[in-house]
Amino acid sequence: MVVVDSESATILRVKGLLEFRCQLDSTDEQLVRNAISRTFETLRSQVKSESCVLAVSDSPVIIWPNKDAYATPEEITPSTPCEDMHQWIQADEQETSGKKSSKKKSKKSSLASVINLRLMTEVTKPGPLSAPILTKTVLKSHFVSVTLPLDCVVRTGSSDTIKDACEQLIEALTHQLCEMEKVTLQNMKGMTLLVPEPVHFLLPEPKGLVTVVYPAGVPDSQLVTQRKELHQQFDLPDDRPYFRRANAYHFPNEPYKDGYLRNPHLALTHPTLDNGKVYLVQGIYSYHHYMQNRVDDNGWGCAYRSLQTICSWFQQQGYVERPVPTHKEIQQALVDVGDKQASFVGSRQWIGSIEVQAVLSHLLGLTSKILFVSQGAELASKGRELANHFLTEGTPVMIGGGVLAHTILGVAWSETTGQIRYLILDPHYTGAEDLQVITDKGWCGWKGPDFWDQTAYYNLCLPQRPKVI
Amino acid sequence: MLRLERLVSILQLRYKLLQLVLDAFRELIQLRPLQSLKQDDRHRCLLVPKNNEIMGRGYIVQDDVEGYLSKLCEQKADPVTGLLIGQSSTQRDFVVMAIRTPQKEESAAAARNSVDKEWVTEHARQVSRMLPGGLSVVGVFIITDADAKDALTTLRQLLFAVENLISSEHLWDPADDDVTDCVTLQINPKTRKTVCRTFDIKDPKSVAKPADWKYQSGLCSSWATVSCSLNVDMLLPLPNNRTSTGNMEECLKEGLKAWAHQIECGLCLIDGKRLPEDSELTVIQRRNLRQTYTAQLLITTENKRLTDVIQQCGGSVSVTGAIHSRAYLHSNKPKARQAEKLLKRDVVSTVATRVQMMLEELLASDQESKGSCRDKQQKELFCLPHRIFCPLKVSGPLCVCDYQFSDEDLSEVPERLKEMLDIDAAEEDLDTRQEMTVEITGCDVTPEPTQEKVEAPDHKKNYIGVAMATAVALLATAASMLYLNDI
Repeated sequence: MVVVDSESATILRVKGLLEFRCQLDSTDEQLVRNAISRTFETLRSQVKSESCVLAVSDSPVIIWPNKDAYATPEEITPSTPCEDMHQWIQADEQETSGKKSSKKKSKKSSLASVINLRLMTEVTKPGPLSAPILTKTVLKSHFVSVTLPLDCVVRTGSSDTIKDACEQLIEALTHQLCEMEKVTLQNMKGMTLLVPEPVHFLLPEPKGLVTVVYPAGVPDSQLVTQRKELHQQFDLPDDRPYFRRANAYHFPNEPYKDGYLRNPHLALTHPTLDNGKVYLVQGIYSYHHYMQNRVDDNGWGCAYRSLQTICSWFQQQGYVERPVPTHKEIQQALVDVGDKQASFVGSRQWIGSIEVQAVLSHLLGLTSKILFVSQGAELASKGRELANHFLTEGTPVMIGGGVLAHTILGVAWSETTGQIRYLILDPHYTGAEDLQVITDKGWCGWKGPDFWDQTAYYNLCLPQRPKVI
Repeated sequence: MLRLERLVSILQLRYKLLQLVLDAFRELIQLRPLQSLKQDDRHRCLLVPKNNEIMGRGYIVQDDVEGYLSKLCEQKADPVTGLLIGQSSTQRDFVVMAIRTPQKEESAAAARNSVDKEWVTEHARQVSRMLPGGLSVVGVFIITDADAKDALTTLRQLLFAVENLISSEHLWDPADDDVTDCVTLQINPKTRKTVCRTFDIKDPKSVAKPADWKYQSGLCSSWATVSCSLNVDMLLPLPNNRTSTGNMEECLKEGLKAWAHQIECGLCLIDGKRLPEDSELTVIQRRNLRQTYTAQLLITTENKRLTDVIQQCGGSVSVTGAIHSRAYLHSNKPKARQAEKLLKRDVVSTVATRVQMMLEELLASDQESKGSCRDKQQKELFCLPHRIFCPLKVSGPLCVCDYQFSDEDLSEVPERLKEMLDIDAAEEDLDTRQEMTVEITGCDVTPEPTQEKVEAPDHKKNYIGVAMATAVALLATAASMLYLNDI
């Protein structure tokens, strides 16, 4: 995961659903587009009106951004700095009635903190107002009814007040509605309409978080043109994906639902070598190891698990849509390519780097390079190659030799002294997904050259990134 | 071993039988009416049970009600039925008003001596529409010198019919803290013997439980009022080829239900503050002598729509505008949670009532007008009636309400109030300032009131279920002159 730079920046994220409803009087394309544009305009003025309300999640704070940032409780004024809002946000177990007893800010993580807000509508207004009218229109026509999922992100500086934040948020919401209008009209075919969905992507600094509106239901493969434009717009290299749906940013308060740990290596302190540099895997992978998914592969499944870690990397970077394969699927793939007999499926036979390469090719369409060392001691001399691999490809490496298989996530290497350390993710772990245990006990950790069996031979499988966006 | 087991099971059976017999006996004791009371004896009419398990509800009743019931006793008619209006909460029960069932004009003399269950229920339904939040039909009474057991049976039937009809029209789900006990009062006109019982209307097999009935003065002045003005903005599709009023009714009911759910789930602020559920309203303003609070409702759209994004339709119906909503809570420790619940329910029911009233008018006028241009493409505008409040007593915040159609004269409101609620009110007492009459821009839709009204004098007398057909028909035809705009 890329770290967001500024320590004191607060990210405000507002989510909400807006009802888009209109009656299409005719099927003439231009008139339909006009009607849709008009309805979007109504929604935009709703967002800019006094009935638009932002409620800070997990807190009693409610703000009226278009009423000069009037807020309740009364301790919050338009000139309150945004950061102060953290004090009002309660953890799940506490009540939401007041401030936290201590003024301690929430634990500083290396990521900027996120404040979540909900978009609400106030339906009450000071009266007296006109009594309701019922309008009945009889006309054979079409009725459009969509729930628009608004989701905006705004980064505020340390000196920004609530009032500044409100202005930015309303602007972001209005802008997103414009984007949604564009995407909706672009993707209208006759009388079908696709729901516009915002997705957030974390781009390398200083660009930070960027929101793109995609039409729902359209697979990534059909959005290549849009992605090309975005790459140009943000000046990004055109050989690696940044805007596939799988690249969507995972906010800190949205835990992954599948239960796997992501990037446990980030919790480690990296070694410092004389004139040395650290070369790490780029992007997100899941930690796969023994005993997960109720598969008892203790003693034979290490290479399978390493392969699963690699597959999870390709899936989460958006290169493949296929979910991580199970042991049986891996074995079946090897039977399908003719590498193994049919009896292989369901067995507890080991696989090596060559099989890993074959499966990556057959199931995911990926190419990999194989690196061979005749003796474990030679691995120390592969520093440059491994460093290059992590620089250019940045994919996890599977290494098999002796009787063990591991995953290499990075190297620390000094060009001048030749010192080398390997960042190892060990698939032989049989415990629970406890980051503390995994890092403390070295199941994910930095190892020296003596980690390898000095006399055994090793094969490394270095998966290559496809050059696509 | 086997013998022992069999012995145990026989004993268990016998024990169960004994329990059943005891229960039946207890029931029998409850149903026997107690000592009668003299008229000026203000003690409770409660059967004092020996068994501590039977705890009755206690109703605190506005002392006016006693006079009202007394007067009814002096009338010749027998039986006289009526409704009891008030508020029931988990802590206390209050009755602020009693309303006799209005006379049915066409009924023969013989029929007058029996209770017309449907008439009573329909009256209750209409009355229920005229009660702001917090006030509801909490029970029924009967003044008769018939046998007490028969009277109780009649009361029970009436109570269940009334409450079931009223709750079937609710667009909200019952809450856990709703009180489901309702009261029946039976008064012998000659002896003034009063018998008070409650039934749990959630339980069709409910038996009568004894209850307290205590008169108290000044009850009407100790109420807190929570109110708000709320915008409604609904747009619903009408199905293809089915755009009659009946279809419109179905669509509106569905749309109202979804909207009601949004309101129910909405965030409620009272006097600008979000109160924890169990706190009391008085926390906000300690010196609020008049005990009036303004509420704000914030809603979100929660559900993702499951229907198709674009569907064919035969038209649409929309309801846009604002309503004034109000709820009353007894001011002895008014809870924020209850205030929120009662206000939200009033919001939902006032909109639903008006829509329902408009639909009733349209359905009635549909039958009278012969094939008006219903199938032609058209756009019709109907002004929903607006809400007018009338205080129950000169001093005291409690009000009842009525709905006035835009083409009706204000003078009709006091007449309806007299017929439905048996209260005497003058036009000057009415509060018409809460909602403004709407002006339909773009076209003059106001019908010529004077001539047409004279043609329908009978309607004035009896408003139950009868629409102001002529006036509405006129409105409809005038409105149908509006053609489609802005295609």
